[in-house]
Amino acid sequence: MVRKKGLSLLALVLVLSLVLAACGGKNNESGSEGSNSGTNGGSEAPVELVWYTIGTPPRDLQKVNDEINKITAEKINATVKIKMLDWGEYSQKMQIAIASGENFDIAFTSSWANDYFGNAKKNAFLAIDDLLKSHGQGIVAALHPDFLEGTKVNGHNYGIPANKELPQQRVFRFNKTFVDKYNLDISGVKTLQDLEPILKTFKENEPTIAPIPAKIAEFFHVDMPINDIPIIGMPLDTTDYKLINVWETDEAKAYLETMHRYYQAGYLPKDVATQKDAGDYFKTGQWLVDVADSQPLADNLWSADAGYEVVSVPMQDPISFNWSVAGSMQAISINSEHPEKAMEFLNLLYTDADLMNLLDFGIQDVHYTKTGDNTKDIIPDSGYGFPAFTAGNLMLTYLNSNDAPDKWEQFQKFNDSATAAPLLGFQVDTSKITSELASLKNTKDAVYDALFSGTVDPAVQLPKAIEKFKENGLDKVMAEIQSQIDAWVASK
Amino acid sequence: MKALYQFAKNVSRNKAFLLMVLPGALWLLIFAYLPMPGAIIAFKEYRFGKGGFLASILESKWVGFKNFEFLFTAQDAFIITRNTVLYNLVFIVLGLICSVSMAIILHELTNKKLSKLYQTGMFMPYFLSWVIVGFFAYSFLSIDKGVLNQVVQYFGMEPISWYSEPKYWPYILVFLNLWKGIGYSSVIYLASIAGIDKSYYEAAMIDGANKWQQVTRITLPLLQPMMIILTILAIGGIFRADFGLFYQIPRESGILFPVTNVIDTYVYRALKVVGDFGISTATGLYQSVVGLILVLTANGIVKKINRDQALF
Amino acid sequence: MKIAKTRRLNNGQNLSRPWNFILNLVAGGFAFLCVFPFIFVVILSLTDEQSLLLNGYRIWPEKWSLYAYEYILQTGDQLLRSYGVTILITVVGVLITVSMTTLYAYALSRRNFKYRGFFSFIIFFTMLFSGGLVPSYIVVTQMLGLKDSVWALILPMAMNAFYVLVLRTFFSTSVPDPIIESGKIDGAGEFRSLFSLVLPISLPGLATIALFSTLGYWNDWFNALLYIDSNQWVPLQPMLMRIENNMQFLIQNSALLNSGQGKDLLSSLPQDTSRMAMVVLATGPIVLAYPFFQRYFVQGLTIGAIKE
Repeated sequence: MVRKKGLSLLALVLVLSLVLAACGGKNNESGSEGSNSGTNGGSEAPVELVWYTIGTPPRDLQKVNDEINKITAEKINATVKIKMLDWGEYSQKMQIAIASGENFDIAFTSSWANDYFGNAKKNAFLAIDDLLKSHGQGIVAALHPDFLEGTKVNGHNYGIPANKELPQQRVFRFNKTFVDKYNLDISGVKTLQDLEPILKTFKENEPTIAPIPAKIAEFFHVDMPINDIPIIGMPLDTTDYKLINVWETDEAKAYLETMHRYYQAGYLPKDVATQKDAGDYFKTGQWLVDVADSQPLADNLWSADAGYEVVSVPMQDPISFNWSVAGSMQAISINSEHPEKAMEFLNLLYTDADLMNLLDFGIQDVHYTKTGDNTKDIIPDSGYGFPAFTAGNLMLTYLNSNDAPDKWEQFQKFNDSATAAPLLGFQVDTSKITSELASLKNTKDAVYDALFSGTVDPAVQLPKAIEKFKENGLDKVMAEIQSQIDAWVASK
Repeated sequence: MKALYQFAKNVSRNKAFLLMVLPGALWLLIFAYLPMPGAIIAFKEYRFGKGGFLASILESKWVGFKNFEFLFTAQDAFIITRNTVLYNLVFIVLGLICSVSMAIILHELTNKKLSKLYQTGMFMPYFLSWVIVGFFAYSFLSIDKGVLNQVVQYFGMEPISWYSEPKYWPYILVFLNLWKGIGYSSVIYLASIAGIDKSYYEAAMIDGANKWQQVTRITLPLLQPMMIILTILAIGGIFRADFGLFYQIPRESGILFPVTNVIDTYVYRALKVVGDFGISTATGLYQSVVGLILVLTANGIVKKINRDQALF
Repeated sequence: MKIAKTRRLNNGQNLSRPWNFILNLVAGGFAFLCVFPFIFVVILSLTDEQSLLLNGYRIWPEKWSLYAYEYILQTGDQLLRSYGVTILITVVGVLITVSMTTLYAYALSRRNFKYRGFFSFIIFFTMLFSGGLVPSYIVVTQMLGLKDSVWALILPMAMNAFYVLVLRTFFSTSVPDPIIESGKIDGAGEFRSLFSLVLPISLPGLATIALFSTLGYWNDWFNALLYIDSNQWVPLQPMLMRIENNMQFLIQNSALLNSGQGKDLLSSLPQDTSRMAMVVLATGPIVLAYPFFQRYFVQGLTIGAIKE
C-alpha cells in the first residue's frame, strides 16, 4: 500500500519534470533562434547587453526583444537582453543584484524606484561624463540641459533621464461630470482655501459623497532637501539659501487649518488618514476634486483613463525639482563589461525612432496599427505593453490618433518654461546624521497623515508635532544640511 | 598525538551518526555558514565597487559600531524595544497555553470527524498573508463602513475610531497573532500526544484516574520536553517582530505608533531615508546576539533542572 | 519483532457529555473564526467588481460575477505551468527535507552520539544568525549557478533548524531508549534501528515535519522573487505576491499614480476581485492536502506492542 503510493508519487514527479522541461526547452530554442537570425556580419562578435528595466513583463516581450536585436545588431553590432521586473519587485531585486555585483549593463533607476541618488552616491553606477561626450552625443542633443544638470551627483552624471516632462506642476483635478452638473466655477482656484465655496455647494447637493476622496498632496512654496522629511525646506524665492522649518510658516498653518475645517465639514472620508486607496474612486467616479502632478495634455490622458471627463487647474508654475528631473532614468552598471556599447545603445534610444516605436508599442500590425505618418492605434490585448516613460526619447514616438498633433512641441515648451528649484543638483550626504534621520522619518510617519488629512486639530497637534521633531534632532539635522548647502552654494 | 588518536577513535565509534548528519551538515556549510561572514557589513560603511560583493566589502570603510548607534540613541529606542519584547513575551506565553490546550481539546473530543474538521479549519489563517488579513481587519474596524461599528451603533453607542485609539491595539494584535498561529503550533502538540505510549493511559485507567487526572499527570508531563524546546526557540526570536502583523494590520496609523511601532517597522521606515545595507545588517545582528544570549541563559537554567530537556 | 498496529484505544473514559459539548463549542467556534475570512475571500472573488467598489466588502454581494476567474484564466498556460512548478518543488522539496531532517535529528536524539551537543548547536545557531540576503544570493547564483533554476527554489529551504529540533524532541520523547537497546541486542546497526524500529513509531512526528515543509514550499514566494527572472519556473505563490507587491508599491507611490504615468502601472494591475480569486486558486488545493497528514496525528500507536 505504502510502496504503491510512493511509486505513484515518484511517477508524478517524473512526469511533471519531463513536461516542464519539455516546455522550457521549446522556449529556449525559439529564443536562441531569434537572436541568431539577428546577428549581422560584423568583424567582431556582437556583444550582448543585459538590461534590467521596470514594468510588468508582457507576454510577447521575447518577440519584440528579437526584433529590437535585429536593429541593434545592424547599427551598433550588439544585442540586448531585456529583463523586465514587475513594479512591486523592481527595487528590491535590483538592490540585491547591484549589491552582489551581478554583471548587468543597464538598469532603470529613478527617484521613486531603485533610488538613483542613493545608488549614485554609493558608486553603484558608472560616472558617464566622458562616455556621454564620446558615445552619447545624440542624448545630449535631445535632452533639455536641466535634465543632465539636475541629476548630477557630486558633480558627475550617473544616469540618463528619459526625455519627457521635466518639471513638477501640481494641479487640482476635477470630475467634470459634477462640475457641469452643479455649475461650479473652478477657473479661479489656485489654493486649497479657494475650494471652499465649491466644496460647500457640492456637499449640499451630494451629501453622501466625500468631494475630496482621499489624501491629497500639499504644495508649499519650498524645495526640500529630503522629500521624506517635509518639515525641512528652502523657500523657492530664497536669496540667502537658509533652510526654514516649513511647518512653522503661515502658509503651512493656514493650509492645515483649512484641511481640518474641511475634514470636520465632511468634505473628506472619515477614515482618510488610514485609507489605502489605489485609485478606486477614479473608477467609480464618486469624487469631485483631488491633486495630481500634471504634464502637457494630461487632462486627455486622465479622461481616457477614467471614462468620463477630467479637467485640471494648476496650483503653480512648472518647477524642476531634483525628484522630478530624476523621475525616470537609465544608468550603466559599475560592473558592466561593455560600457561603451551600453552607451551606444542608450544613444540609439534617443535617436532611432524605429527602435523607440518598437520598444514602446511593439511590432507593427501585431501590436499596433499605423493610422498616419506619425500616428498609431494600439491593438487592445495584443500581448505587448511597455511603460514608455521609463526609457529613451519619448518625443520620437508615434502619437495616438486622437492626440494633439503638436503634443511633443507642447512638451518642449513645458520643459522650457520651467524654473529651477533652488536646490536643483544638491544632494544631502546622510552619513553623519543617520540616527537622527531614522528618528525623524519615524516621527514624520507618526504625525504626517493625521495632520495633513485634516483628521486632527492643528491648533493642538501641530505644536506637539514640531516639538517631537525637535526632540528627535531636527535642529542638528538642519544645521548639518545647512552647512552642506553653504558649501555647495560656495562651490557653484 | 594522543588527543588525535582519541579523536580518530571517537570518530570511528560514532561513524554511523556522523554519516547521518553529513548531508545536513554539508547543507549548513553551504547555505548557512558560507554566507555568514557577510554580516561584517554591519561594521562597515558599505560602498559598491568594481569586482563584486567581496571586493566592495574589502574596500568599504570600517566604522565600528556606528551602524548600531541609531538603535539606541533614538528617542523612540525604548518604546520600540519595549513593544517588541512585551508583545513577543505575550505571544510566547499565551501561544503556548492556547496551542497546548487546543491540542488536548482536539485530541479528547468524542467525535473524531468533527475534531478533524476543526483542525483543518484552524489551519486556514496560515494561508492568508498579512496583507489580506489587513483587508479583513479593516472591513471590521473601518470607522464608517466597518462591521464592528455597525454593531456598536446598533446598541446605541458612539462609533469608535479604531485606528486612532491606541488602547485597543494590544488586544487586537495579540488576538490576530494567536488566531493566525494556533492552528500551526497546535499540530506539533497534537502529534506529540499521538506519540504517547497508550499503555500509560491504560495503566491510569486501571488505577481509576479520571480524564482531568490523565491530562495533568500523563499528557502534560509528557508534552513538557516539547514545550520547553519550542519556548527556548521562541525566546531566541524575542527581539524580532513579525513585520507583517505590525506594519499591515494597523495601516501605518501614526497615532498608534506608541503601541504598534516595533524594531522591525522602525528600521523599515528609517531605511527609506537612509537606504543602507550596513544598518539593516546591524539590526539583524543585534537581534541575533540578544537572542543568543537569552537562549543560552534559558538553556542553562533548563540544563540545571533537567539535563535531558536542554537544547544542547 | 513485529509492529502491531492497534486501533486507537479509548484512553480513559470518554469525555462527559456536557464537557464534550463545551469543548466542541470552544474548538468549533475558534475553527469558524479561522475559516470565516477564507469563505469571505471566496465570496469576494465571486463579486461583481463595480458593486464591490460601490458597496465595499459584503457577505452577500449585490451582484455575482465570474469575471475575476475569467481574467486570471486569460493567462492560460502560465497558470497551469505554475501549478506544475509548485507541485514539483513541493514534492521533491518535501522528500529531500524530510530525509535530511530525519537523519540529522535522529543522530542528535541519540544519547550515545558523542558530538550531539556540537551538531545541535551549529544548527541552532543558524536559526538566529545569517549572513543576510546578499551573501546568500551570491552563494546561490554565483557559486552554485542556480539563477533561474528550479533547484534555487528547492535547495535553500531543504533544511531548517526548527524542524530538526522539533523532530529531535519527538524522537527523544516518544521513542524510549529500551526499544533501541532491544534492537542493539539483536545486533542491528544504527541505520537499521532507525528505519525498522524508530521510524514506524514516529509517524506523527514525521508527518508534522512533512506537513510543515509542504506548507513551507507551497507558500514560498521569496526564493522565486530572488532567483527566478523568467516565467518558466515561476510557482503559484509568487504570482499572487507580485500582485500584492504591485498594490503596495502603488499605495506607497500614489503621487506617481496620479501623474499620468501611473496609467501604465494601473492597467497592469488586476482588480480587487481578481486578487481574491488568485488567493483562492493559490491556496485552495493545499488546503485539501491537510487531511492526508492528519491521519497520522490521531492514529496513536501502542509502543508496548512493538516490544513483543
